[in-house]
Amino acid sequence: MTDEIREFLFAALTEMKYDIEGADDDTVFGPAGLDVDSLGLAELAVRVEDRFGVAFDDDEAEALAMMTVGEFCRAVSRRIQPASAH
Amino acid sequence: MREGVTVTGIGLVSPVGSSAAEVFDAVCEGRSGLRRPPEGHPVDGVVDVAAFSPDIDPASVLPGPESRVVDRSIVMALRAAEGALADAGVEVGRDVDPYRVAVIVSGVGGLSTLASQVLARAERGRFGVSPYLLPGTLPNMGAARIAIRFGIRGYTSSIGTACASGAQSLGEALRVLRADEADMVVCGSSEAPLFPAFADAFGNARALAHGWSDPTAASRPFDRRRNGLVLGEGAGVFVLERTAHAAARAARRHADLLGWGANNDAYHPTTPRPDGSGAAHCMRAALRDAGLHADDIGYLNAHGTSTKAGDAAEIAALRDVYGTATPPVSSTKGVTGHLLGVSGVIEAAIGIEALRRGLLPPTHNLDDPDPADEVDHIRKQPRTVPVRTVMSNSFGFGGHNVSLVFGPAAG
Repeated sequence: MTDEIREFLFAALTEMKYDIEGADDDTVFGPAGLDVDSLGLAELAVRVEDRFGVAFDDDEAEALAMMTVGEFCRAVSRRIQPASAH
Repeated sequence: MREGVTVTGIGLVSPVGSSAAEVFDAVCEGRSGLRRPPEGHPVDGVVDVAAFSPDIDPASVLPGPESRVVDRSIVMALRAAEGALADAGVEVGRDVDPYRVAVIVSGVGGLSTLASQVLARAERGRFGVSPYLLPGTLPNMGAARIAIRFGIRGYTSSIGTACASGAQSLGEALRVLRADEADMVVCGSSEAPLFPAFADAFGNARALAHGWSDPTAASRPFDRRRNGLVLGEGAGVFVLERTAHAAARAARRHADLLGWGANNDAYHPTTPRPDGSGAAHCMRAALRDAGLHADDIGYLNAHGTSTKAGDAAEIAALRDVYGTATPPVSSTKGVTGHLLGVSGVIEAAIGIEALRRGLLPPTHNLDDPDPADEVDHIRKQPRTVPVRTVMSNSFGFGGHNVSLVFGPAAG
């Protein structure tokens, strides 16, 4: 599942005109990595909510800047399949 | 004695040049900025003719990730502000206290961003809407981005008076400087109207020039065959400064802004009052504010958009103020097209250049003026006449009238 999420994420970032060349699971969303600004992160969260039927609260959307791509994909995956966590 | 206000910087993004000198040369030589829309442009197939400004790489004016999503109106505002501040030789913080600099930059806002998001909402529902709609669309964002980009921390606003907004921004700047609320004001307008829904609105209102086989013939202010305006895009920004402040830093001064007037026709949302009485009162107010009489004005840059009703009302207003002895009059929109709120800023720059050179630009395409106008139209060729003062008119939907009066740098 995380592969599908990662693929969607990179497609969305490309559509939003971010440069994803060289990005991988260890890349952060913030200035040290993809450099997605706060509104960009909000837009990304909305796109993921729409695609995967998950929901982020406000704090989580803001915390995205500190996360790596891999961490984010795993977090989304856990929400899609809550049963798998047990 | 009232505080003097002077122009120390001019930056333009226009279909015919990026400096007052370039634009002035184009309007004097009849080098038209009007053309058919390029293939693939959003208004290709929507309008017959428009006035396009050069492409600007957003990253060149807005470093960082936001350059990817910024509206064209803001990109042009930033480029014009950059040009104006460079022309004024000003670095905010080094040459002037950031809290003593104001920004008044206007326009209708990023309406193409709004249009694209409305379409996205219709197609994809709530999730289709980008949060970037807000900084892309709000009409204050040109001013705000300029403040952010250049570290300007004083009074900041934008004015919504349609096609009078640029001229009104200069007038409001004069007021702020006279009140000693700032030492310097970055003021003007930016407009990006060349997208389908907005252009269609003008077209369906029967306001656009149509049916011209030669696109450069489409804008013809005061000509009897005129049949509408030509939409244009661009930005114009001035640095206005308290004369004492400019003198203290030994700044080069282009001209002084001597006075202004602003009022409303109180008549109709889009049609000017036919007798021109609102515009006439506005011009008189500007003369009074400048401490001048009608016969002091040596050149008048008319709003003259090339619409039937607008040009006729302005002629009536000119006759009201100046009688049959009008100053030499031209509208430079025959070459530039109508850049909406920006037009007042570009035309102020043209007026200042006319002052400096003692050369008055003609109205392009004015082949057949109405003899009943009894106005001293400048036609065909520029006229060499030393002038001491110039007036520039701007009128906007909503009945807004603004007149500005400039004179040579003095005192």
